[in-house]
Amino acid sequence: MARDPDAALMLAFQGGDEAAFRALFEKHGRAMMAFCQRFVKEPARAEELAQDVFLKLYRSADRYAPSARFTTFLYRIATNHCLNEVRRGEYRHRPERDPGGDEGEARDPDSLAGEGASPEEELSGRALEDSVRALLERLPEKQRAAFVLARFEHMPYEEIAVVLATTVSSVKSLVHRATVAAAAALAPWSPDAGGKAEP
Amino acid sequence: MRHVASELTALVDGALPEGRRAEVEEHLAACAECRAERERLAAVGRVLSALPAPPEPPPGFEQRFYARLAREKASRPSLRERILRSPWRWAAPAAGLGAAAAVAFGVAQVRRDRLEMARHLDLLENYVVVASLDSVESVEDVEVVEHLHELSEGRP
Repeated sequence: MARDPDAALMLAFQGGDEAAFRALFEKHGRAMMAFCQRFVKEPARAEELAQDVFLKLYRSADRYAPSARFTTFLYRIATNHCLNEVRRGEYRHRPERDPGGDEGEARDPDSLAGEGASPEEELSGRALEDSVRALLERLPEKQRAAFVLARFEHMPYEEIAVVLATTVSSVKSLVHRATVAAAAALAPWSPDAGGKAEP
Repeated sequence: MRHVASELTALVDGALPEGRRAEVEEHLAACAECRAERERLAAVGRVLSALPAPPEPPPGFEQRFYARLAREKASRPSLRERILRSPWRWAAPAAGLGAAAAVAFGVAQVRRDRLEMARHLDLLENYVVVASLDSVESVEDVEVVEHLHELSEGRP
Protein backbone atom coordinates (compact mmCIF):
# COMPACT_ATOMS: atom_id res chain seq x y z
CA MET A 1 0.00 0.00 0.00
CA ALA A 2 2.89 2.31 0.72
CA ARG A 3 3.76 2.01 -2.97
CA ASP A 4 0.43 3.48 -4.00
CA PRO A 5 1.56 6.87 -5.33
CA ASP A 6 -1.91 8.29 -4.75
CA ALA A 7 -1.75 7.22 -1.13
CA ALA A 8 1.55 9.06 -0.83
CA LEU A 9 -0.08 12.18 -2.29
CA MET A 10 -2.98 11.85 0.11
CA LEU A 11 -0.61 11.55 3.04
CA ALA A 12 1.26 14.61 1.81
CA PHE A 13 -2.04 16.48 1.65
CA GLN A 14 -2.84 15.36 5.19
CA GLY A 15 0.45 16.97 6.09
CA GLY A 16 -0.72 20.27 4.58
CA ASP A 17 0.60 19.99 1.02
CA GLU A 18 -2.19 21.51 -1.11
CA ALA A 19 -0.25 20.80 -4.30
CA ALA A 20 -0.62 17.09 -3.54
CA PHE A 21 -4.40 17.49 -3.47
CA ARG A 22 -4.31 19.28 -6.80
CA ALA A 23 -2.22 16.48 -8.25
CA LEU A 24 -4.87 13.98 -7.13
CA PHE A 25 -7.63 16.04 -8.73
CA GLU A 26 -5.70 16.42 -11.95
CA LYS A 27 -5.10 12.68 -12.07
CA HIS A 28 -8.59 11.46 -11.13
CA GLY A 29 -10.97 14.39 -11.69
CA ARG A 30 -11.86 13.61 -15.29
CA ALA A 31 -12.32 9.89 -14.63
CA MET A 32 -14.53 10.88 -11.71
CA MET A 33 -16.71 12.95 -13.99
CA ALA A 34 -17.07 9.95 -16.31
CA PHE A 35 -18.01 7.81 -13.32
CA CYS A 36 -20.63 10.33 -12.17
CA GLN A 37 -21.98 10.40 -15.71
CA ARG A 38 -23.16 6.82 -15.17
CA PHE A 39 -25.56 8.14 -12.52
CA VAL A 40 -26.85 11.38 -14.01
CA LYS A 41 -27.73 12.38 -17.52
CA GLU A 42 -26.43 15.91 -17.87
CA PRO A 43 -22.67 16.35 -18.25
CA ALA A 44 -22.86 19.63 -16.35
CA ARG A 45 -24.45 17.84 -13.40
CA ALA A 46 -21.83 15.08 -13.62
CA GLU A 47 -19.12 17.72 -13.41
CA GLU A 48 -20.82 19.24 -10.39
CA LEU A 49 -21.01 15.83 -8.71
CA ALA A 50 -17.34 15.15 -9.45
CA GLN A 51 -16.51 18.50 -7.84
CA ASP A 52 -18.65 17.58 -4.82
CA VAL A 53 -16.73 14.33 -4.45
CA PHE A 54 -13.38 16.11 -4.40
CA LEU A 55 -14.67 18.73 -1.99
CA LYS A 56 -15.73 15.90 0.32
CA LEU A 57 -12.32 14.34 -0.16
CA TYR A 58 -10.73 17.67 0.75
CA ARG A 59 -12.76 17.94 3.93
CA SER A 60 -12.41 14.32 5.00
CA ALA A 61 -8.75 13.83 4.17
CA ASP A 62 -7.92 13.23 7.82
CA ARG A 63 -10.10 10.11 7.75
CA TYR A 64 -7.98 8.48 5.08
CA ALA A 65 -5.74 5.70 6.32
CA PRO A 66 -3.12 4.34 3.94
CA SER A 67 -4.29 0.79 4.69
CA ALA A 68 -6.90 1.41 1.98
CA ARG A 69 -6.04 2.12 -1.63
CA PHE A 70 -6.67 5.73 -2.45
CA THR A 71 -9.05 4.87 -5.28
CA THR A 72 -11.06 2.64 -2.95
CA PHE A 73 -11.46 5.56 -0.55
CA LEU A 74 -12.28 7.94 -3.40
CA TYR A 75 -14.84 5.69 -5.05
CA ARG A 76 -16.49 4.96 -1.74
CA ILE A 77 -17.13 8.67 -1.31
CA ALA A 78 -18.18 8.97 -4.95
CA THR A 79 -20.54 5.99 -4.95
CA ASN A 80 -22.31 7.16 -1.81
CA HIS A 81 -22.63 10.64 -3.22
CA CYS A 82 -23.94 9.49 -6.60
CA LEU A 83 -26.44 7.08 -5.06
CA ASN A 84 -27.70 9.85 -2.81
CA GLU A 85 -28.14 11.96 -5.91
CA VAL A 86 -30.06 9.17 -7.64
CA ARG A 87 -32.28 8.80 -4.56
CA ARG A 88 -33.03 12.48 -4.46
CA GLY A 89 -33.63 12.51 -8.20
CA GLU A 90 -33.38 16.30 -8.30
CA TYR A 91 -31.29 16.27 -11.43
CA ARG A 92 -34.20 14.79 -13.35
CA HIS A 93 -36.17 17.96 -12.80
CA ARG A 94 -33.43 20.40 -13.65
CA PRO A 95 -34.10 22.46 -16.74
CA GLU A 96 -32.01 21.74 -19.78
CA ARG A 97 -29.27 24.29 -20.19
CA ASP A 98 -29.06 26.50 -23.22
CA PRO A 99 -26.98 24.61 -25.79
CA GLY A 100 -25.57 27.94 -26.95
CA GLY A 101 -24.49 28.88 -23.45
CA ASP A 102 -21.24 28.30 -21.65
CA GLU A 103 -22.14 24.70 -20.90
CA GLY A 104 -23.12 23.97 -24.47
CA GLU A 105 -19.98 22.08 -25.31
CA ALA A 106 -20.66 19.59 -22.55
CA ARG A 107 -23.98 18.72 -24.13
CA ASP A 108 -22.75 18.47 -27.67
CA PRO A 109 -24.09 15.10 -28.82
CA ASP A 110 -21.15 14.72 -31.16
CA SER A 111 -18.89 14.57 -28.16
CA LEU A 112 -20.48 11.27 -27.19
CA ALA A 113 -18.77 9.47 -30.02
CA GLY A 114 -15.09 8.83 -30.19
CA GLU A 115 -12.86 11.01 -32.30
CA GLY A 116 -12.65 9.97 -35.89
CA ALA A 117 -15.88 7.98 -35.79
CA SER A 118 -17.94 7.87 -38.97
CA PRO A 119 -21.47 9.34 -38.87
CA GLU A 120 -22.88 5.82 -38.75
CA GLU A 121 -20.58 4.93 -35.87
CA GLU A 122 -21.54 8.12 -34.07
CA LEU A 123 -25.23 7.35 -34.44
CA SER A 124 -24.68 3.79 -33.36
CA GLY A 125 -22.54 4.91 -30.42
CA ARG A 126 -25.16 7.38 -29.25
CA ALA A 127 -27.93 4.79 -29.52
CA LEU A 128 -25.86 2.30 -27.55
CA GLU A 129 -25.17 4.99 -24.92
CA ASP A 130 -28.91 5.56 -24.65
CA SER A 131 -29.56 1.83 -24.21
CA VAL A 132 -26.89 1.56 -21.52
CA ARG A 133 -28.26 4.63 -19.74
CA ALA A 134 -31.78 3.20 -19.82
CA LEU A 135 -30.44 -0.07 -18.43
CA LEU A 136 -28.58 1.66 -15.60
CA GLU A 137 -31.63 3.71 -14.67
CA ARG A 138 -33.70 0.55 -14.36
CA LEU A 139 -31.25 -1.29 -12.14
CA PRO A 140 -31.72 -1.24 -8.36
CA GLU A 141 -29.19 1.18 -6.91
CA LYS A 142 -26.76 -1.33 -5.41
CA GLN A 143 -26.76 -3.40 -8.58
CA ARG A 144 -26.17 -0.25 -10.57
CA ALA A 145 -23.23 0.78 -8.42
CA ALA A 146 -21.69 -2.70 -8.47
CA PHE A 147 -22.19 -2.98 -12.22
CA VAL A 148 -20.64 0.42 -12.92
CA LEU A 149 -17.65 -0.31 -10.69
CA ALA A 150 -17.12 -3.74 -12.27
CA ARG A 151 -17.82 -2.96 -15.92
CA PHE A 152 -16.64 0.64 -16.30
CA GLU A 153 -14.06 1.04 -13.54
CA HIS A 154 -12.87 -2.58 -13.91
CA MET A 155 -12.58 -3.03 -10.16
CA PRO A 156 -12.10 -6.49 -8.71
CA TYR A 157 -14.97 -7.84 -6.64
CA GLU A 158 -12.93 -7.53 -3.43
CA GLU A 159 -12.44 -3.80 -3.96
CA ILE A 160 -16.08 -3.28 -4.91
CA ALA A 161 -17.01 -4.97 -1.65
CA VAL A 162 -14.96 -2.39 0.26
CA VAL A 163 -16.42 0.49 -1.74
CA LEU A 164 -19.99 -0.69 -1.14
CA ALA A 165 -19.29 -1.78 2.44
CA THR A 166 -20.55 -5.27 1.77
CA THR A 167 -19.24 -8.79 1.25
CA VAL A 168 -17.57 -10.27 -1.82
CA SER A 169 -20.38 -12.79 -1.96
CA SER A 170 -22.93 -9.99 -2.09
CA VAL A 171 -20.94 -8.22 -4.83
CA LYS A 172 -20.86 -11.44 -6.83
CA SER A 173 -24.64 -11.62 -6.64
CA LEU A 174 -25.15 -7.92 -7.41
CA VAL A 175 -22.86 -7.97 -10.44
CA HIS A 176 -24.39 -11.19 -11.70
CA ARG A 177 -27.97 -9.98 -11.49
CA ALA A 178 -27.06 -6.70 -13.16
CA THR A 179 -25.17 -8.54 -15.89
CA VAL A 180 -28.15 -10.83 -16.53
CA ALA A 181 -30.32 -7.72 -16.93
CA ALA A 182 -27.70 -6.17 -19.20
CA ALA A 183 -27.49 -9.30 -21.33
CA ALA A 184 -31.22 -9.05 -21.98
CA ALA A 185 -31.25 -5.27 -22.51
CA LEU A 186 -28.19 -5.18 -24.75
CA ALA A 187 -28.76 -8.43 -26.65
CA PRO A 188 -29.64 -6.61 -29.88
CA TRP A 189 -26.21 -4.97 -29.77
CA SER A 190 -24.31 -8.17 -29.37
CA PRO A 191 -22.16 -9.10 -32.36
CA ASP A 192 -23.08 -12.68 -31.51
CA ALA A 193 -26.71 -11.81 -32.15
CA GLY A 194 -26.03 -11.16 -35.83
CA GLY A 195 -23.52 -8.35 -35.64
CA LYS A 196 -26.23 -5.76 -35.60
CA ALA A 197 -24.88 -2.29 -34.97
CA GLU A 198 -28.25 -0.92 -33.96
CA PRO A 199 -31.24 -2.70 -32.49
CA MET B 1 -24.10 -31.45 -11.08
CA ARG B 2 -26.72 -28.69 -10.93
CA HIS B 3 -26.67 -25.81 -13.37
CA VAL B 4 -24.18 -23.11 -12.51
CA ALA B 5 -25.83 -20.02 -13.99
CA SER B 6 -25.36 -17.93 -10.86
CA GLU B 7 -21.60 -18.51 -10.99
CA LEU B 8 -21.11 -17.67 -14.64
CA THR B 9 -20.65 -13.92 -14.33
CA ALA B 10 -17.96 -14.43 -11.72
CA LEU B 11 -16.38 -17.04 -13.98
CA VAL B 12 -16.33 -14.62 -16.92
CA ASP B 13 -14.89 -11.93 -14.62
CA GLY B 14 -12.17 -14.29 -13.38
CA ALA B 15 -13.52 -13.89 -9.85
CA LEU B 16 -14.12 -17.52 -8.92
CA PRO B 17 -11.72 -19.25 -6.55
CA GLU B 18 -9.50 -21.81 -8.29
CA GLY B 19 -11.27 -24.90 -6.98
CA ARG B 20 -14.74 -23.64 -7.78
CA ARG B 21 -13.68 -22.49 -11.21
CA ALA B 22 -12.53 -26.00 -12.08
CA GLU B 23 -15.88 -27.43 -10.95
CA VAL B 24 -17.87 -24.89 -12.97
CA GLU B 25 -15.75 -25.48 -16.06
CA GLU B 26 -16.23 -29.21 -15.68
CA HIS B 27 -19.99 -28.63 -15.65
CA LEU B 28 -19.76 -26.37 -18.68
CA ALA B 29 -18.00 -29.06 -20.66
CA ALA B 30 -21.09 -31.21 -20.28
CA CYS B 31 -23.90 -28.61 -20.29
CA ALA B 32 -24.79 -26.76 -23.48
CA GLU B 33 -27.41 -24.68 -21.69
CA CYS B 34 -24.88 -23.22 -19.24
CA ARG B 35 -22.34 -22.73 -22.04
CA ALA B 36 -24.90 -20.66 -23.95
CA GLU B 37 -25.62 -18.63 -20.82
CA ARG B 38 -21.92 -18.00 -20.29
CA GLU B 39 -21.64 -16.66 -23.85
CA ARG B 40 -24.67 -14.44 -23.33
CA LEU B 41 -23.12 -12.94 -20.18
CA ALA B 42 -19.67 -12.60 -21.72
CA ALA B 43 -21.20 -10.69 -24.63
CA VAL B 44 -22.15 -7.87 -22.25
CA GLY B 45 -18.50 -6.97 -21.77
CA ARG B 46 -17.93 -6.99 -25.52
CA VAL B 47 -20.93 -4.72 -26.14
CA LEU B 48 -19.84 -2.28 -23.44
CA SER B 49 -16.34 -2.15 -24.89
CA ALA B 50 -17.92 -0.78 -28.08
CA LEU B 51 -19.24 2.27 -26.22
CA PRO B 52 -17.70 5.55 -27.31
CA ALA B 53 -15.14 7.01 -24.94
CA PRO B 54 -16.71 9.21 -22.27
CA PRO B 55 -16.94 12.83 -23.36
CA GLU B 56 -14.11 15.08 -22.26
CA PRO B 57 -15.15 17.70 -19.73
CA PRO B 58 -15.54 21.14 -21.23
CA PRO B 59 -12.44 23.35 -21.19
CA GLY B 60 -11.67 24.90 -17.83
CA PHE B 61 -12.63 21.78 -15.87
CA GLU B 62 -9.75 22.06 -13.40
CA GLN B 63 -10.01 25.85 -13.11
CA ARG B 64 -13.72 25.68 -12.31
CA PHE B 65 -13.03 23.21 -9.53
CA TYR B 66 -10.19 25.22 -8.03
CA ALA B 67 -12.36 28.35 -8.13
CA ARG B 68 -15.17 26.50 -6.32
CA LEU B 69 -12.72 25.09 -3.79
CA ALA B 70 -11.37 28.57 -3.12
CA ARG B 71 -14.91 29.96 -2.73
CA GLU B 72 -15.91 27.20 -0.33
CA LYS B 73 -12.74 27.62 1.72
CA ALA B 74 -13.31 31.38 1.91
CA SER B 75 -17.00 31.11 2.78
CA ARG B 76 -16.87 28.15 5.12
CA PRO B 77 -18.59 29.38 8.26
CA SER B 78 -16.87 29.29 11.60
CA LEU B 79 -17.62 26.40 13.90
CA ARG B 80 -19.86 28.62 16.02
CA GLU B 81 -21.87 29.67 12.93
CA ARG B 82 -22.18 26.07 11.82
CA ILE B 83 -23.48 25.10 15.23
CA LEU B 84 -26.04 27.91 15.17
CA ARG B 85 -27.24 26.86 11.70
CA SER B 86 -27.16 23.19 12.47
CA PRO B 87 -30.23 21.12 13.27
CA TRP B 88 -28.15 20.17 16.32
CA ARG B 89 -28.40 23.66 17.76
CA TRP B 90 -31.29 22.52 19.93
CA ALA B 91 -29.01 19.98 21.51
CA ALA B 92 -27.00 22.53 23.47
CA PRO B 93 -29.95 24.00 25.35
CA ALA B 94 -31.44 20.52 25.58
CA ALA B 95 -28.23 19.30 27.12
CA GLY B 96 -28.34 22.27 29.46
CA LEU B 97 -31.94 21.53 30.37
CA GLY B 98 -31.05 17.91 30.89
CA ALA B 99 -28.24 18.92 33.15
CA ALA B 100 -30.54 21.33 35.02
CA ALA B 101 -33.14 18.63 35.42
CA ALA B 102 -30.48 16.34 36.71
CA VAL B 103 -29.37 18.99 39.19
CA ALA B 104 -32.98 19.51 40.33
CA PHE B 105 -33.35 15.81 40.61
CA GLY B 106 -30.15 15.64 42.58
CA VAL B 107 -31.22 18.47 44.88
CA ALA B 108 -34.58 16.83 45.52
CA GLN B 109 -32.75 13.67 46.33
CA VAL B 110 -30.31 15.36 48.63
CA ARG B 111 -29.61 12.16 50.32
CA ARG B 112 -27.71 10.90 47.34
CA ASP B 113 -24.07 11.67 47.49
CA ARG B 114 -22.29 13.98 45.03
CA LEU B 115 -20.65 11.22 43.11
CA GLU B 116 -24.02 9.66 42.35
CA MET B 117 -25.35 13.01 41.08
CA ALA B 118 -22.34 13.54 38.84
CA ARG B 119 -23.00 10.18 37.25
CA HIS B 120 -26.59 11.21 36.47
CA LEU B 121 -25.39 14.46 34.95
CA ASP B 122 -22.99 12.66 32.70
CA LEU B 123 -25.64 10.17 31.68
CA LEU B 124 -28.22 12.81 30.85
CA GLU B 125 -25.78 14.88 28.84
CA ASN B 126 -24.66 11.87 26.88
CA TYR B 127 -28.22 10.74 26.33
CA VAL B 128 -29.04 13.83 24.32
CA VAL B 129 -26.20 13.04 21.97
CA VAL B 130 -26.50 9.29 21.81
CA ALA B 131 -30.28 9.26 21.38
CA SER B 132 -29.87 11.36 18.25
CA LEU B 133 -27.01 9.54 16.57
CA ASP B 134 -29.32 8.24 13.84
CA SER B 135 -29.48 11.80 12.58
CA VAL B 136 -25.74 12.10 12.18
CA GLU B 137 -25.17 12.08 8.45
CA SER B 138 -21.76 13.54 7.95
CA VAL B 139 -18.46 14.12 9.59
CA GLU B 140 -19.45 17.77 9.90
CA ASP B 141 -22.38 16.75 12.10
CA VAL B 142 -20.08 14.78 14.34
CA GLU B 143 -17.74 17.73 14.54
CA VAL B 144 -20.63 19.98 15.51
CA VAL B 145 -21.79 17.57 18.19
CA GLU B 146 -18.29 17.26 19.55
CA HIS B 147 -18.10 21.02 20.01
CA LEU B 148 -21.60 21.70 21.29
CA HIS B 149 -20.29 22.56 24.73
CA GLU B 150 -18.40 25.50 23.23
CA LEU B 151 -21.69 27.13 22.30
CA SER B 152 -22.93 27.23 25.87
CA GLU B 153 -19.50 28.44 26.95
CA GLY B 154 -19.66 31.25 24.37
CA ARG B 155 -16.41 30.33 22.69
CA PRO B 156 -15.98 30.64 18.91
